[in-house]
Amino acid sequence: MPRNSLLLVLSLLIIRPSLARTTGDPPASNRAQALELLDHTVLPDTSAFWPNVRLPLFIANLKVNLNFPQKIYQGVNTNFCGYAALSYLPLNFDPLAYTRFMLALYKDGEASWNGIHFRPSSEIHQAAGTLRFKGILDIRPADQIWFLVLADHFRSYLNFFNRRFHPGSEDTFWAAVSYGKFNRMIRQLFGYKVTSKGSDLIRPHFDDLYDYLRTNLGSPGTTYLYVNNTYLHKKNHNKFKGSFPTHFIVLDDIRRIPGEEDRVDIIYWDYGGRTLRQVSLRFLKKILFGVTHCTHP
Amino acid sequence: MIRTQTYYLLLMAILLTSCRTLNIAGYYHRHGQSLDSMETTFRTAYQEKPFSIQFTSRSFNRVSLELITDTLTYIYEYQVGEPRLQDTLKKFGYDTTAINYLIRVMQTSECTWIDNLDYYTDTARHSVVYISLWPRRFNFAFVNKKYYILTYFQRPQYFDSEGRLLVGRRLRHIRKINGDVYHRINDRVCYTISDRFR
Repeated sequence: MPRNSLLLVLSLLIIRPSLARTTGDPPASNRAQALELLDHTVLPDTSAFWPNVRLPLFIANLKVNLNFPQKIYQGVNTNFCGYAALSYLPLNFDPLAYTRFMLALYKDGEASWNGIHFRPSSEIHQAAGTLRFKGILDIRPADQIWFLVLADHFRSYLNFFNRRFHPGSEDTFWAAVSYGKFNRMIRQLFGYKVTSKGSDLIRPHFDDLYDYLRTNLGSPGTTYLYVNNTYLHKKNHNKFKGSFPTHFIVLDDIRRIPGEEDRVDIIYWDYGGRTLRQVSLRFLKKILFGVTHCTHP
Repeated sequence: MIRTQTYYLLLMAILLTSCRTLNIAGYYHRHGQSLDSMETTFRTAYQEKPFSIQFTSRSFNRVSLELITDTLTYIYEYQVGEPRLQDTLKKFGYDTTAINYLIRVMQTSECTWIDNLDYYTDTARHSVVYISLWPRRFNFAFVNKKYYILTYFQRPQYFDSEGRLLVGRRLRHIRKINGDVYHRINDRVCYTISDRFR
């Protein structure tokens, strides 16, 4: 099968969620607690488990994540967007658990979170700190560890043909996140209650999409959208585009534009920042493959 | 018989033109002055207030602006010349002269996107101005689009014997920007041909 066709078929199975709104969720811990733990933990200058990770960069990276949780960035042309979107929850609502997990990973090479034990393969230990030409991810070794460890542990049918990490796998289906896997990770890792509507292949039906999203945003929790990014973040002008979801974003707000019945302002988080964009509801329906709402247990 | 030959000739012409590529280095040397001026204007305006400009349609009459603030990136799309565009620029405090100039030059140069990208050498951050050209000729609905991309560095770069951009003088690995390998036009300007404009 030609490579493009194979990619197309595999892509039909991919789902990446978008950013979610976070209202009313009580944080399990706060930034000050996490920073205090980081400041009072003695770490070895070099780690036998992570030979390519430099301690000063690792600590600086954790501090940036704790102080500016919305800045976490998946890297240029990687498939880490699902994991980056997922990170929104611990960085905003339980930074202490996140910091404890990352410090344990650095010191011991393995760690547990919510009863799930992560024991990364030797390829992951070697790769963390070596990802290059990915923008600011180049100098963020803690994020490289975090994304690689998650991708190494959680697998789904999308990862069937890319089971082991090889250099460059971060840009391939090895790192892809299906809709089911995304919801499962949130449920199992953070213990959130997850309600979802959508799938990897078929767009869900909404009687009134605007009303549905407003209702989600109005209730406590975080709302993720699973969207077709070839339309949202256009990279070419090809007439024929795949009709499948490829990106996860966090929906922060949606509001009608006065005097324009079908047009709305959406505010969402992805790629390390928040964006406000005017779109039509027709366009939103066309690109939307899933809506996930997570609430703190 | 004549009609069949005509069809063959027509088919050959379509295939040949759709496979033909632009000589980007030659294009740069012909339009260097306006491209360099676009880069300088963009870099100066970007340092004041960050933004990017994208032409979203083939006819180069719809323009999308990404206006980057500390808290939000605003994405708005306009028809070129629409008064709302000027209102938005003024409201956000952008240099309207510079941005209007860029829009005009991008339109005439068939440039579909201009932005500033960061890249890292060891831990040092550098930036490059990224200009995507989408020449109007050789555009067929059934052929995937190709973009000719120019990158402007702030300082001279290092290249291998084949003219490929390297990470540095000592680190002689090939550097990728936005996933593509770049080739030398001059010490500060490189090009590549890509299937995506950003």
